[in-house]
Amino acid sequence: MGLNHRTAPVAIRERYAVSEGLARVVNEKIAAHSRLLEGAVVSTCNRTEIVAVADSVESGEEVLSHLFEEVIGDGSAGREHFYVYRNREAVEHLFRVASSMDSMVLGETQILGQVKRAYALAAMSGSCGGILSRLFHRAFRAAKRVRAETGLGSTSVSVARVGVQLASEIFESFADKRLALVGAGEIAEAALHAFREAGLRSIVVINRTLEAAVRLAEPLSAQAAPLSRLEDEIDIADIVVTSVACDQPLVSAPLVERSMRRRQQRPLLIIDLGLPRNAEPLIKQIDDAYLYDIDDLDQVAQRGRESRRAALVPAEAILALELEQFERWHAGRRAVPTIRTLLERTRKLARAEAERTLARLPDTSPETREAIERMADTIVAKLLHRPLDQLRNEAADQGPAYYAETVREIFGLEEEED
Amino acid sequence: MTELLHILASLVYAAVAVDGLLSRRRGIAPSSVGWLLAIGVTLHGVGFVALHAHEPLIPLDSFPAALSLIGWLVPTSYLYALRIAHVRGVGHWVATAAALVTATAAIGLLLHDPLAPAAAGGGRWSHAHVLLSTLGFSLLALTSLAGLAYLTKKRALKRNQTARFGLPSLESLDRMEHVTLGLGFSLLSLGVLTGFFWGQSRGISPWTHHSSWLIIAWAIYLIPVGMRVLRHQHGDRPARIVVIGFGFLAFSYIGIRLLGMDT
Repeated sequence: MGLNHRTAPVAIRERYAVSEGLARVVNEKIAAHSRLLEGAVVSTCNRTEIVAVADSVESGEEVLSHLFEEVIGDGSAGREHFYVYRNREAVEHLFRVASSMDSMVLGETQILGQVKRAYALAAMSGSCGGILSRLFHRAFRAAKRVRAETGLGSTSVSVARVGVQLASEIFESFADKRLALVGAGEIAEAALHAFREAGLRSIVVINRTLEAAVRLAEPLSAQAAPLSRLEDEIDIADIVVTSVACDQPLVSAPLVERSMRRRQQRPLLIIDLGLPRNAEPLIKQIDDAYLYDIDDLDQVAQRGRESRRAALVPAEAILALELEQFERWHAGRRAVPTIRTLLERTRKLARAEAERTLARLPDTSPETREAIERMADTIVAKLLHRPLDQLRNEAADQGPAYYAETVREIFGLEEEED
Repeated sequence: MTELLHILASLVYAAVAVDGLLSRRRGIAPSSVGWLLAIGVTLHGVGFVALHAHEPLIPLDSFPAALSLIGWLVPTSYLYALRIAHVRGVGHWVATAAALVTATAAIGLLLHDPLAPAAAGGGRWSHAHVLLSTLGFSLLALTSLAGLAYLTKKRALKRNQTARFGLPSLESLDRMEHVTLGLGFSLLSLGVLTGFFWGQSRGISPWTHHSSWLIIAWAIYLIPVGMRVLRHQHGDRPARIVVIGFGFLAFSYIGIRLLGMDT
């Protein structure tokens, strides 16, 4: 369940943006909830989603709705802003998100890192179990294959590059321009690289913690400045890119108005990649100041999307294959109780026999004891290897469970469970 | 021969204009604008030279000849601007203007110049006046085109109308406006001066309808020149004034002739 750039405008999305701290809180609530088995919050500048495993679809949706309205957001989003994918659709959706096929900029490279980070946070909070771990890893694998094997990965695209494209609508050349990057995170880094590649040389990184700004700026010969210098830097900058996590806009309309008076009609381009937004929307009304937020970039990105659409066909084929493999694995989990019981019982028998044999050999060295115990385990594993494979395949094919019933009957597993 | 070359040139300009329009609809960059315009300019140039092959002096004050010169100078100046200001994207606008002007010149030539006023005497001042002011007019036509494109682009950027993002960057358009305004205004000023001397040499009043409107246009152009040179102002304010200024300038050349105000 979630909301993204297609279902909700930035003004709504920013009220449901999830910081890392909040993601931990939500993940912990999921882990503690009795009706959710597993769950993870995925939050980027274009989406906030919860991927969850529930004991039933209905109760899962109910709990997730509650989390969205009471914990994540302020209840301002309507039902029409949310989407819900169930079962196979949900798996496919996560694969599409990780592969950047659901992104604003088709083929962008940042999303995989953001999904990996979301998984890591959930794993740390203990809200990810066996199913989601497998699902996320399959999604990472699918994303890597899409990048490596299709045209989607042939060119490096990102939201920052769309920003460069937008800047070239205003400026003829970047050689004599100055860029002020507000923020020192991943997006700022991508913007720094994108503008550098476009020929921009004069760059300053502005951040609350100067150390982080220096860390980003120094390797690329850019300057670093504290947030207190924001207004001075805007005065001399031609392009400002903001990507800061903040509750209130950092770049206000009065600040830009003051700056424009000092600039003598020199245009100022502000690209706001933050969520919640970092720049006040009123700036759009100021003459010679051009403000674009993440939704505005979506429209610019549409133009480049057509050229990469052809690469979607092989990418879809990869996703279909990965989806099928995940479904087989998931269906194969039906056989898990039988396999587990069978393994436990046969290992127990083998160990007992090994113990009995060793009891008759009092002078046996510890090495020999260990070798005999290992031999007993190996015999069990080798004997059961093919039968267990058959059980898994039968379950994955989702047909009638003949093998499973036969195994349970001939080994008397149900009697033992009873 | 001359008429045929003018017709061919206007067809080539029209082809560039149509290609530009179709390309914009398909969302792709127009192909070979520069080369096609260069072919049109060459054909047109040969036609213009042929026009004057039979005359002892170039009759630049004949209406079709003046139009032909303007029609040739507009795309030529654009090809020059293409090199200095990377102003791709307005080629089809330039071609549309050139096609209309050249086609009108061709029709004028075919109809034996019915719109042409009687040449008000010849002489060096006359030729210097017509040549300089026509050159100035052509460059200022480009200035107004750049100004108009600037205002359109700025509006599109402000409203995030991506369909109009195909125009050159704001900075390119502003630079094109700046360069052509400086050169065009200087030539127009010389054209006004030589026109005054021409009138003096003929002993006629300098205050004809044509010269009065020309002076008004020249005075209007003084404002953006002052804004740019003295106050280093760029952007939409000078752009608006150059568009208005060209309205007066075009009227002083074409409007009063079409309305028969000067004889």
